[in-house]
Amino acid sequence: MELIRVEEVSFAYLPGKLVLDRVTLRFDHRSTAIIGQNGAGKTTLVKLMKGLLKPFDGEILIGDLSVKKVTAASLAKRIGLVFQNPNDQIFKGNVLEEVMFGLLNIGVEREEARVRAIRALEMVELEGKRDMNPHDLSLSQKKLVSIAAVVAMDPEIIIFDEPTIAQDHAGKERIKEIIRYLDEKGKMVMTIIHDMDFVAECFERTVVMNRGRVLLDGPTREVFSREEVLKEAYLELPTVAQLSKRLGLSETFLTPKEFIAHLEGRIKG
Amino acid sequence: MKKVMVEHLKYRYPGTEKLALDDVSFEVEEGELIGIVGRNLSGKSTLAQAIVGLVPHFYRGAYGGKVIVDGIEVLHSTVSDISRKAGIVFQNPFTQVTGSKLTVYEEVAFGLENLGVPRSEMMERIDEALTLLGIYDFRHANPFDLSGGQMQRMAIASIIAMRPEVIILDEPTSQLDPQGTEEVFLAVQRLSREGMTVLLIEHKLEKVARYADKVLWLDEGKVMAYDSPSKVFSRDDLEEHGLAAPIYTQICKALKLKSPDGETYPVTLEGAYEVLKRWN
Amino acid sequence: MKSISLYVDRQSFLHRIDPISKIYYIVAAILVPILYPSLTVAFAVMVISLILLFLGKVIRQTLSVYGFVFLVLITVLIIQTLFYPGNETPVYRIGQVVLYREGFFYALTISFRVINIVTSFLILVFTTRSADLVESLVRKGLSPRFGYVIASVFQIVPEMMSAMGRITDAQRSRGMETEGKLSVRMKAFLPLIGPVVLSSLLNVKERALALEVRGFNAKGKKTFLNEEKNFLAPTAVQWSLLAVILIAIIWRIIQ
Ligand SMILES: Nc1ncnc2c1ncn2[C@@H]1O[C@H](COP(=O)(O)OP(=O)(O)OP(=O)(O)O)[C@@H](O)[C@H]1O
Ligand SMILES: Nc1ncnc2c1ncn2[C@@H]1O[C@H](COP(=O)(O)OP(=O)(O)OP(=O)(O)O)[C@@H](O)[C@H]1O
Ligand SMILES: [Mg+2]
Ligand SMILES: [Mg+2]
Repeated sequence: MELIRVEEVSFAYLPGKLVLDRVTLRFDHRSTAIIGQNGAGKTTLVKLMKGLLKPFDGEILIGDLSVKKVTAASLAKRIGLVFQNPNDQIFKGNVLEEVMFGLLNIGVEREEARVRAIRALEMVELEGKRDMNPHDLSLSQKKLVSIAAVVAMDPEIIIFDEPTIAQDHAGKERIKEIIRYLDEKGKMVMTIIHDMDFVAECFERTVVMNRGRVLLDGPTREVFSREEVLKEAYLELPTVAQLSKRLGLSETFLTPKEFIAHLEGRIKG
Repeated sequence: MKKVMVEHLKYRYPGTEKLALDDVSFEVEEGELIGIVGRNLSGKSTLAQAIVGLVPHFYRGAYGGKVIVDGIEVLHSTVSDISRKAGIVFQNPFTQVTGSKLTVYEEVAFGLENLGVPRSEMMERIDEALTLLGIYDFRHANPFDLSGGQMQRMAIASIIAMRPEVIILDEPTSQLDPQGTEEVFLAVQRLSREGMTVLLIEHKLEKVARYADKVLWLDEGKVMAYDSPSKVFSRDDLEEHGLAAPIYTQICKALKLKSPDGETYPVTLEGAYEVLKRWN
Repeated sequence: MKSISLYVDRQSFLHRIDPISKIYYIVAAILVPILYPSLTVAFAVMVISLILLFLGKVIRQTLSVYGFVFLVLITVLIIQTLFYPGNETPVYRIGQVVLYREGFFYALTISFRVINIVTSFLILVFTTRSADLVESLVRKGLSPRFGYVIASVFQIVPEMMSAMGRITDAQRSRGMETEGKLSVRMKAFLPLIGPVVLSSLLNVKERALALEVRGFNAKGKKTFLNEEKNFLAPTAVQWSLLAVILIAIIWRIIQ
């Protein structure tokens, strides 16, 4: 089933400078990574899907709703976006209130909103900070709070814009878990990210953007077998794929696990 | 020559109980490239800010020990005066924008104007920094109209243009595309070879292993290790303290393949290639 | 993210007048009607200011400011026309309500002055890049720190506007209606104030950090990226404005 349809969408912030140029994309339930050079138009694309920007040409449908015809707020139940810069998203004076904000807006009762917000904070292991002012948290914590605030709303589609900014190893693992959990729950997870190892490990499908266009789109393994195209988009192979290529292996490995299993086979055999 | 000397530095932010830095000592030679690693909240950014004097001059709080940058004791100087010696690129590029300039070009000029760099030289340096960071085409854009990665590039350019003797980069590539990341590391390496002393906070350990001369590993405000990347990343207690070794190291460890020295594991692509190639 | 400035880039002679002269103009535009308190003078100076603003080709951008000012002034006008203590001469009667002449003219004088002051500031703000202003002041020997304070005053409004845009996006993306009917937008306005103020304060703090580490307060001589601009006859303009102020003062004394 198609959850999002982006049809021939163009957009410019300043007259004459197209940031997106007739982009057409369909999204189903598969978890999807959006990758590409800085300034390629990734953030702009998801802001358009979210209704925060209006395309000046083309059409975006969320389910059967045209984004042009409804307010961004009315889409919030269906589609959630975690902003790239958490400072742009956080505005309340208290962590718990921040996470409850969206829930209250979509009609969840206060008591239940509280319970769900606390559960979301537990998920990012920030339950203990619930009475703090979010502005006093570190960047990595703010990012996690902004993730919790959207995940708590439980929308059908969840978009993360560079969720791993400032995260250490444990933080990245936690976010991977959240993505897997949402995926298993049948949510559509879309993530803009520059970490190729993360992409290789977590997403079924990968869309490569370049200068306002879609350069490549397909199953992640296939995308990572096209190194020349990735180069053009200022991307690189995941670390294990770089190593396997250096070793002259022809398969495209995505995770260390796969690769170790393969090598163990060779060493024994 | 010792460019940065940190001696028994202890620091606590006002209104907190825990020491953010707990008896930190290390020395950096001129032209060295030091990678600073450690899990979230381990004190990396605090240390970075202690070197440029924001700790304690801006944040106040309880301070003990000494930080000496190029012969100047930070505690007895001012942030602006230290800025002539040591530049910092903040973790969140958004907080680095002065907000008083209308274009990227002028934004980068800001620090140079304050240093009193002559006009013609200023323009040369700005062009060079913008080209180096790949945002020359955006020089007329408003600093706030940039994408996240472009803003981060601008933040780095505005410090590099000031050509400080010591530069501290706090996760400078967190929002950069892979090639941009590689380019920044190459640029930083070049600068350090030209004599700039570089301290670089980074979670991408594969890059640290490849480019850093030494790794300073912090945990809970304390120094866990200060040694070569291969020594530090071969340690067995990384995971226990929230660090994951570079993927190359993880693979070789899983296969129990040590480097030729018989002590450490490979930490870079080439290192791993060397020990793995015979299995092909 | 919107640009953090109210400056409108146009080709006009006002854009070529130096910032300091514009400050002189503000002083003159405020002082003259005070020193010479008559309705005609207030009106005349206001008209001059408005004409200047018009010549600066930035009227359109200032309309929202005037919208707000008019809203306030109309209230003043109504209240004074009805309740000014010096009210004697009734001019109009609507049932119980009596409109007085004295109150009306008093309110009119106030309105002219207010519009005049607002306009003279708008001339400065909309036709001058704040960086140019600060630069001119620093070149004159003002401390950069003080220059920065002035620049931030300039930026309060745009900064708040940009914070408002940011926070509105955060709110509507999590389900709060902010678009469409006036009633919806009014309702959305109140919960915006707290966060906007908070965010602006935080920004000020972060800016201070950003400036310090770029050597903003460093000792030693500064240089400037931009060459000192060739403004239109700064000395002549400034002296004329000074002369106007002086004449008004002398007039006031001999009166
Ligand atoms: N508010 C704005 N006004 C004008 N131009 C803008 C604005 N925001 C973004 N742009 C420009 O639009 C282009 C696309 O920006 P966008 O933020 O979508 O990039 P991105 O792919 O998300 O990049 P990054 O990986 O750096 O976050 C960039 O060239 C950027 O400079
Ligand atoms: N402004 C502040 N006020 C109070 N405490 C602070 C402040 N900044 C940091 N801290 C505390 O100091 C400790 C070290 O934080 P610091 O930001 O230096 O860690 P970090 O290693 O840079 O983490 P990250 O990887 O998340 O950036 C933490 O316990 C943190 O909560
Ligand atoms: Mg982006
Ligand atoms: Mg940090």
